[in-house]
Amino acid sequence: MTAPGQIASFTRPRRLLSRLLRDSRTRIAIVVLLIVALSAVFAPLLAPYDPTAQLDIVRLPSQPPSLAHPLGTDPYSRDVLSRLLYGGRISLAVGLGAVLLAMSFGIAIGAVAGFIGGAVDAVLMRFVDAALSIPRLLVLILVASLWGSLGLVPLTLLMAGTGWFAVSRLVRAETLVLREREFIVAARALGASPFRILVRHVLPNVAAPALVSATLGIANVILLEAGLSYLGIGVRPPTASWGAIIQDGAEQVSDLWWLTLFPGLAILVTVFACNALGDALRDAFDPRQLPRGTDPTFAAEA
Amino acid sequence: MAGVLLIGCTEVKQQPQTAGPADIGGTMVVATPAEPGTILPGLYSTSVERQVTDLLFDRLAEIGDDLNSIGDKGFTPQLATRWEWAPDSLSIVFHLDPRARWHDGQPVRASDVRYSVSLIKDPTFGSPMASSTMNVDSVSVRDSLTAVAYFKKHTPEQFFDLVYQVSIVPEHILGNTPPAQLRTAEVARRGIGSGRFRLAHWDQGKRLELIADTANYRGRAKLDRIVYSVSLDFNSAVARLFTGDADFFEQLRPENMAKVEKDTSLRALPYPSLQHTFLALNMIDPAHPGQPNPIFGDRTVRRALTMAVDRAGMLRNVFGAMAHPSYGPFPRFLAVADTTLPQLPYDTLRARALLDSAGWTPGPDGVRTKNGQRLAFTITTTVSSATRKQYAVLLQEAFKRVGAAVNIDATDFAGSAAKLAGRSFETTLVTFAPDPNVSGIRQAWSSAALGKDGLNYPSYVNPIVDALLDSATISFDPARARAYSRRAFEIIIEDAPGIWLYEAPTVAGIHKRIHTTGLRADEYWARMADWWIPASERTPRDRIGLRPAPTP
Amino acid sequence: MRRFVAGRLAQAAIVVFLVTTVTFVLVHLAPGDPFATALARPGITEALRQQQREAFGLDRPLGEQYLRWIGNAARGELGWSISFNRPVRDVIADALPRTLLLVGLSLALSFALGIVVAVLQTERPGGRRDRWLGRILLLLYSVPDFWLALVVLLIFAYWLPIFPPSGIVDPVRHDYMSFSGRLLDRLSHLVLPVTTLTLLATAAISRHQRSALMEVMPSDWMRTAIAKGMSHRRAVRRHALRNALLPAITLAGLYLPALAAGALFVEKVYSWPGMGLLAANAIVTRDYHLVTAAVLISSIAVALGALLADVAVAAADPRIRVS
Repeated sequence: MTAPGQIASFTRPRRLLSRLLRDSRTRIAIVVLLIVALSAVFAPLLAPYDPTAQLDIVRLPSQPPSLAHPLGTDPYSRDVLSRLLYGGRISLAVGLGAVLLAMSFGIAIGAVAGFIGGAVDAVLMRFVDAALSIPRLLVLILVASLWGSLGLVPLTLLMAGTGWFAVSRLVRAETLVLREREFIVAARALGASPFRILVRHVLPNVAAPALVSATLGIANVILLEAGLSYLGIGVRPPTASWGAIIQDGAEQVSDLWWLTLFPGLAILVTVFACNALGDALRDAFDPRQLPRGTDPTFAAEA
Repeated sequence: MAGVLLIGCTEVKQQPQTAGPADIGGTMVVATPAEPGTILPGLYSTSVERQVTDLLFDRLAEIGDDLNSIGDKGFTPQLATRWEWAPDSLSIVFHLDPRARWHDGQPVRASDVRYSVSLIKDPTFGSPMASSTMNVDSVSVRDSLTAVAYFKKHTPEQFFDLVYQVSIVPEHILGNTPPAQLRTAEVARRGIGSGRFRLAHWDQGKRLELIADTANYRGRAKLDRIVYSVSLDFNSAVARLFTGDADFFEQLRPENMAKVEKDTSLRALPYPSLQHTFLALNMIDPAHPGQPNPIFGDRTVRRALTMAVDRAGMLRNVFGAMAHPSYGPFPRFLAVADTTLPQLPYDTLRARALLDSAGWTPGPDGVRTKNGQRLAFTITTTVSSATRKQYAVLLQEAFKRVGAAVNIDATDFAGSAAKLAGRSFETTLVTFAPDPNVSGIRQAWSSAALGKDGLNYPSYVNPIVDALLDSATISFDPARARAYSRRAFEIIIEDAPGIWLYEAPTVAGIHKRIHTTGLRADEYWARMADWWIPASERTPRDRIGLRPAPTP
Repeated sequence: MRRFVAGRLAQAAIVVFLVTTVTFVLVHLAPGDPFATALARPGITEALRQQQREAFGLDRPLGEQYLRWIGNAARGELGWSISFNRPVRDVIADALPRTLLLVGLSLALSFALGIVVAVLQTERPGGRRDRWLGRILLLLYSVPDFWLALVVLLIFAYWLPIFPPSGIVDPVRHDYMSFSGRLLDRLSHLVLPVTTLTLLATAAISRHQRSALMEVMPSDWMRTAIAKGMSHRRAVRRHALRNALLPAITLAGLYLPALAAGALFVEKVYSWPGMGLLAANAIVTRDYHLVTAAVLISSIAVALGALLADVAVAAADPRIRVS
């Protein structure tokens, strides 16, 4: 028996959590992400050297892995292990930051479009459709290469600015469905503010797919940031990001293999964990009960 | 004394030294990462374009290997067999070689010389060489093989201005098209010149094929064909060299050197060049043009920052043992260069002491400040050049150690070019490849070159240097010119408007079977028509012969 | 139905128009212009650059330039590429087929492979095969595409030099080869980039297909078929696949933009001169007409793809009307 205001398919938190934890993917993902997060947070303690310190530009550049430098040094004689640890900070910061911003903005816009409806809805959704049809990578490259190297904050904003469209469509769809339901109409007649309705009714119903989308979104942003840094238009030197480390070795991939291998593995492992978690979440929420009309590709790459 | 040597003989081991009659023929494939956009002389801007143009077209005379640009002493006849100066030196009569023919069979006439000069000077044509030929007034035709060139003033480099900058083009081919449209016209792509190579085939974006002009008045080229094979970028071009797809690649990087050593079919060919790179310090405040830069306006600060840079160490890091340091605002192969001038030493202690004395005190975060201004600035550079990016990061750290906070602004080429022209950078890496003449220096360091058209990027102004460079330009005696230039260079080095970083190593990768000759510092391809392949070392590609490729 | 298609077509046209306009404005707003070459040469005066700008109409107000370009584009003339010194149409005519070949081949292979793998997985959902395939696919799905390309390049072109590292054909000898030689040459240059793209795309397609198949699993007719005695495996292959093909079509439509935009990173690592690399280089050289034209082509592809997908879905299942 469900109380008014609750959609029948909304899964109760405790059962959800246990289902999640039984999934081996969740356990692996959480462990991995914890390792990455902790090593990023405690990087200053764990890193043997300053990530931007050029130790000896004549004798120590481009050294293969050794006891002194377990992951080798880059052409500027900087220790790769230290850069890798600090690089985790960049990836996580940009990933989390961009996705949080994108989610907030997307939810807001979607709710506005769904509630107000009419012309506002039409205009907003046309815009979202148009935006969705522009390849995200192209926009990022256009903006990043045209305006020169971006700092961390502009980069995060740019990522967020190109990643909120799918969420807004999702929230709008959900809002539209809800708007017609009797208890909503009743609530509004009684004077409940749209904001309240948003928070109490819309959000719980989009929480599930939004969470999945967010997790996969973080994975995506990490890949994009690495890609941009690899092209040389991501973070500014001497910032250590995983993609930037690969870029430093891009000219001599076969000789300086450690500059490609280790950061690539770091990206792979982190993104894998995020995707695994996203999959586990999606299966835990039981996708067959997602509200009708939801675009099934919302969770795929934006 | 910066004498130019014919470098290239150093690498040859036990190969035959001269070409016999049987050694005519062969194919050389040049890997290039940039497609030539135009092959019309007068419009070239990239090295490939310049090379192809020089092989297809001729000049009146060729500069000597010592790159002496004063008078006509070093020049050897090319299209002009001899020339006579008028007594007042305001005109020169050129006698053309009667055997000279265009690739379509028509004879080369004096009217072609007149046309070529007027084309270069025509503003609608848009040639970068126009400003260099300002002293040339016009050319008149005395008869079909005699052309008279008139000059406005008698200057030491008047002969150079005319002869070096102007390649002779056929009037009967190009004359019917308005100069403004020549850049994109089809006739300009036919490459009909009088050079020892002719254009066989141009597959846009893929390759450009030159074959020997067998009936050339200067003798046929020894090679049968030169194929320019276009790759997308540097790495794929180098890759072609190593896989054997190409025989020649113009500029190897330090990381390629080890591979070349190991490859038994290739050798490294160092050649002289006129490139030098420095970090320009903008002495004008980019935010308030007309006002001196709050950081770089002070000579002590500039000198201190120079001393903070371990130039030798950075050279080793970036280039290994290959590159040469830059000794000042000139390439070492320039005729008036002097590599013995006193340099500022690498001394971080002294650098810090100088900054202290100039009033820049370290703040709590380690960055120096003075009157509220932080010792913080940006190095503008391009993303595309790995060397520059590497230098920028190394410089950033070097400056950090003496208390300066440096940000690297890496944009693409177009963006940084815009900043340079508008002088809206704070510091930037500049590479010059000047013409081998004295006036080139003036175009970079005199107050006449301050505006948008000039190359005086640091906005350096010193009246004494202006006077010295002017004197150097009007001296008819090479020794006097050198003395004036030397003094000017000394002062510029002391004033430190830039940090002289490196002369990029110019080392080509070339297949061992190809013998080279005549590598001049301004154009290593000057005698490419005399490069040869011994008959005993032919490969399948060399046996293709003179038949053109089947059109795809 | 016709009204539906017409409506979507109009929508698509608007989207294409919008995207092209935004790109045009963005590129023109960026600092710099195409005439930045040969900076350190004495003699290139500002007057000269200005002259070049005028010759190409770049000094006119932005609105006028835009209208002129739109007018030309409507007639099929996409402008002049300053960096290539050729008409844009020719440049794209060279690059587009190369991308179509690369991405088309990869997509065809990955769809085939992806569907096969998804079917293999769902024959026994939750079983060992399903789980292990799922993990491998997730790994491939999580790998950065430029990194995979680099690793494949490293292994198969440098450490074990079996395949050529770059380009589409041998730069010199191709024209002198026999017909079969030329074919082999082209194929050998295709192997590495196609392998990389296929691995990446298969992962995404497989995952999508698997979830589509899983959705269809518990449906009535499946249970009926199994109750009637059909083996689970056969039931999947005969019934589930047919129904799950629909999402595959949707996915096909969504992957169409990759055909035009080109898989940029793969093209960059393998120096495959396709649309992706073309667009990226055009941005760097501020080749305005080329950038805009490239984006125009890719957005047309996107719009067409989405349209085709929606139409296919609507035609196949009249119950679904996309809002």
